[in-house]
Amino acid sequence: MMRMLDIAQSQSTPRISYDPKEHVLTISGESYPENSFEFYAPVSIWFKEYLAAENRLRLDINVSYMNSSSTKCMLDLLDLLEEAHQKGITIDIVWRYDHDNPRSLDLAEEFKEEVTFPFSIITVEQ
Amino acid sequence: MDLFQLREQFSKDGIMMCFNGPFSHSIIEELGTAIKNHLANENIARVAVQDVFAAYIEMTQNARNYLTKRDIPTGDTGSATIMIAKKDDVYVVTSGNVVLRNDITELTSRIDDINLLDQESLKKEIRRQLRSELPPGSLGAGIGLMEMAKRSGFGLEYSIRDIDDRFSFFTLRVQIQQA
Repeated sequence: MMRMLDIAQSQSTPRISYDPKEHVLTISGESYPENSFEFYAPVSIWFKEYLAAENRLRLDINVSYMNSSSTKCMLDLLDLLEEAHQKGITIDIVWRYDHDNPRSLDLAEEFKEEVTFPFSIITVEQ
Repeated sequence: MDLFQLREQFSKDGIMMCFNGPFSHSIIEELGTAIKNHLANENIARVAVQDVFAAYIEMTQNARNYLTKRDIPTGDTGSATIMIAKKDDVYVVTSGNVVLRNDITELTSRIDDINLLDQESLKKEIRRQLRSELPPGSLGAGIGLMEMAKRSGFGLEYSIRDIDDRFSFFTLRVQIQQA
């Protein structure tokens, strides 16, 4: 069953898009919504439904800035992924950042500490 | 109002950008873009641009969430003032908004507590807060002030000016090192 998720990028919110062929959810852009909880609520619901039915997911993240409430929302999503990983679902994250954006690297490393599934951090030229 | 004099004063104080008025999310977005573009043209490290932008977003969203939560009437009280200035090697982001006098003690003691924390303690406290249960209807995650303190390294400065028996004006100031 196709689980669609395709949220277009806006000035203050990232693109969130699921590729069902590759089982990859891509999040890219910047994240400082007017209300982060409202913005990420449908994403959280999608995660819960997806993880209840599928057996693998990769998150491909390239978010150059996240405001503080977005980091809370992201952490909540990572918790869902960790729970799924503990149940045997294949989860991994690829976090991309621009080499001259050390804050993004800091954030990636802090998130990586919160999970036990594969979490690779790679630089991209932008 | 003599705009030329105002500009002269801004120039003397190193003020690059200043906004005073009603504060919508789209104003926050547009000003943010203007700030990023302006700073990108200065010859400073990308991380400093990021930190100034982050401080600006946290402050403006804090102000907006506070004004919304407290249902501060629109018009003069419902507006905020934001300033980005540069003094030598330091960028200074300042925000000001009306607050209820009843909220001042809690607000200032929070900031005083944050200012006592070093980088490691800030990281621990942020993590602890991120893991704690948020009160229902929370507009934010409760870590904005700590995030700003962490990026600044200079601590958070504030001042309070009483307006009348209900309201005061609260100003918050964060410094970001350029280099």
